Amino acid sequence: MARLNDDAQWIVLMGFIVSFSLFFLAIVLNQSTVVGQTTAEGVLEFPKNDIRDVRYEVLACSDLSSAVWGEVQKDMTSIAMDRKNAIVTFNITSAPPGSTFKNIFDIHYNNGVTAYNETANY
Amino acid sequence: MPDDHAYLSIDFLAGMTIFMVAFIWVATMIPGLLISLQGGTIDYDAVAYRTGVILVEDPGMPANPPWENKDDMQKDEIQRFGLALTKDNPNILAPNKIERFFCSTSFNYPDDYQRRVIFGDRPYSFNVSLSTFDAMMNWSVGDVKPDGGYGYIRRLVKIKQPSNATINAPAFRNSGGDGNVTGHVFSVHINCTRLLQDVRNPPYQIDPLRERIVVNITNLMNAYVFTDPTNVITLSKIIIYRQNPSQPLAQVRTFDTSYIDGGNTASSLPVIVNDNASVIFPAGFFYGMANENSHLYINYTFKLNTPDCFFNNSFTSPYDYDYSPIRVTQPLLKEGVVEVAIW
Amino acid sequence: MVNSDGQLFTIEGVAAGLIMLFSAYLVVSATSIYTPGDTHISDMQLEQLGSDALRMMNTPNTTATTGESLLQNITKNNDGVRFKETFLTFCNSTTGGSYDNLQISADLFYRDTLTNSVKQFHFAHSRNLTGGEHAVRVTGWVHLDLTGGGSPLSVAAPGIDPRVQAGLMEVLLWRD
Repeated sequence: MARLNDDAQWIVLMGFIVSFSLFFLAIVLNQSTVVGQTTAEGVLEFPKNDIRDVRYEVLACSDLSSAVWGEVQKDMTSIAMDRKNAIVTFNITSAPPGSTFKNIFDIHYNNGVTAYNETANY
Repeated sequence: MPDDHAYLSIDFLAGMTIFMVAFIWVATMIPGLLISLQGGTIDYDAVAYRTGVILVEDPGMPANPPWENKDDMQKDEIQRFGLALTKDNPNILAPNKIERFFCSTSFNYPDDYQRRVIFGDRPYSFNVSLSTFDAMMNWSVGDVKPDGGYGYIRRLVKIKQPSNATINAPAFRNSGGDGNVTGHVFSVHINCTRLLQDVRNPPYQIDPLRERIVVNITNLMNAYVFTDPTNVITLSKIIIYRQNPSQPLAQVRTFDTSYIDGGNTASSLPVIVNDNASVIFPAGFFYGMANENSHLYINYTFKLNTPDCFFNNSFTSPYDYDYSPIRVTQPLLKEGVVEVAIW
Repeated sequence: MVNSDGQLFTIEGVAAGLIMLFSAYLVVSATSIYTPGDTHISDMQLEQLGSDALRMMNTPNTTATTGESLLQNITKNNDGVRFKETFLTFCNSTTGGSYDNLQISADLFYRDTLTNSVKQFHFAHSRNLTGGEHAVRVTGWVHLDLTGGGSPLSVAAPGIDPRVQAGLMEVLLWRD
């Protein structure tokens, strides 16, 4: 049987090379729009103002009795869970005698993406 | 022998042509895929946001000793501008930093600002402006904003107003026989320990070491006891004394200028005063000569031509520059807005 | 003379061309165009501005008075009009003196210990929400001292307790 004439296979080979390079380019472009976040999305996602606000509110409880700030803690926990989808808890203990500060605050914030824990002497 | 006819068959040409046409058409479709990726303009808003955060929420680098106290010769030591009062007080701005940042004689647009607040490899044009809601203060640096196509951010701030003491001279008139003299001394007392300990929150604190201190003495013409129309008041000198704990009182230096009778330029002492004298101690003036535990005394010496009882507290007690609102106008926070535009 | 030997080249050429065209068609229809005008940037600018406004309203200007901030005072007195005017002034002022065109709608959230639920109290709005606005939500905690129960907020908000509590002021902010 005569050998199949495969002289011109290089044309089809060139065609395949061009197609594969096109597919590769498409994959690269696809990944570049999905993997990178825009700066604005990053800014919106990080809860900078939420955490600062929680801190200010908790530190404003420094002069309250433990029954009162216990209720404030329950307020913040339930409202934050309900409206902000975040877990906010804090604890206030008195500072050891002789310290320059009054209380030790343990603040915890977690909105599912960002977790923040702080121990503050205030 | 090899075949070197050098002609191609027509069928080969036909196949090759179809291939080339298809290849060229596909190649021209590639730029259409890449058209959505842009280079430069996409990050103007990001740079504007970052510049806004650096200016409004950061105190600058170096923060201690503060960058705004570095003079023009030392401006290379300033690594980053920032207008916030301290790291823990974002959005509350210090007036000294504002005045220094917008000072066009100290810093050149755009190079000095590009290196210290805008950052980035690409040279951006920018405009930073700040104004208070009551329009009393309005600063701006940079080019005029174009009509569109710029990155933008707007931040709200509170600007700390410096404290000042306005002293009504007749209230401190000296009476009694031994007060009838020509030389009178009035002393203002700055107790650094009390000032820095009583109020520890920086936005509401009077910080004598880092902030401007202003003392206005008013209504001097009614401070005589015996009205003698020919009597002339001369503010002859202002001397500053310091007392550190467990050390004796020491004279530090004299202060040689004062704004007399509502004038716009400072006059050097000794000078004749009619009605009022204002002394402005610039921010950082006391920094080198006192520490957090010092007591500072600012002694005004007035000389009269003919002896009289006058504005004098050397027999009573020094005037305390403290947190009493009767004696000192307390530092106040005033709302303002900062806008940054980058293009 | 003319034979069909070269048909091979033609067919190979046609096949290669078809392969390239088909793959190019697949690629072009698959990649999505990333439009640079997405709403994240303007959302970010509005959210930062609104958070700043709430924070500035919640910072007292001086400690000489009770130390209460403007936001605490307004909330305790249930002064929706003053809240709306102050907040709009904060958000719409620019350095050039011109005014921007932002609108708000504010609600206060608080916890009712009797039913142990979070209640909502509508505080102020500059314009009724029609539902077509693209709004950004900013929130701020308000430290409320309602002991005694005599303040206007205690009277107006249903079920609010007469005690020291933390409430959440939520403001929807949009550009007209």
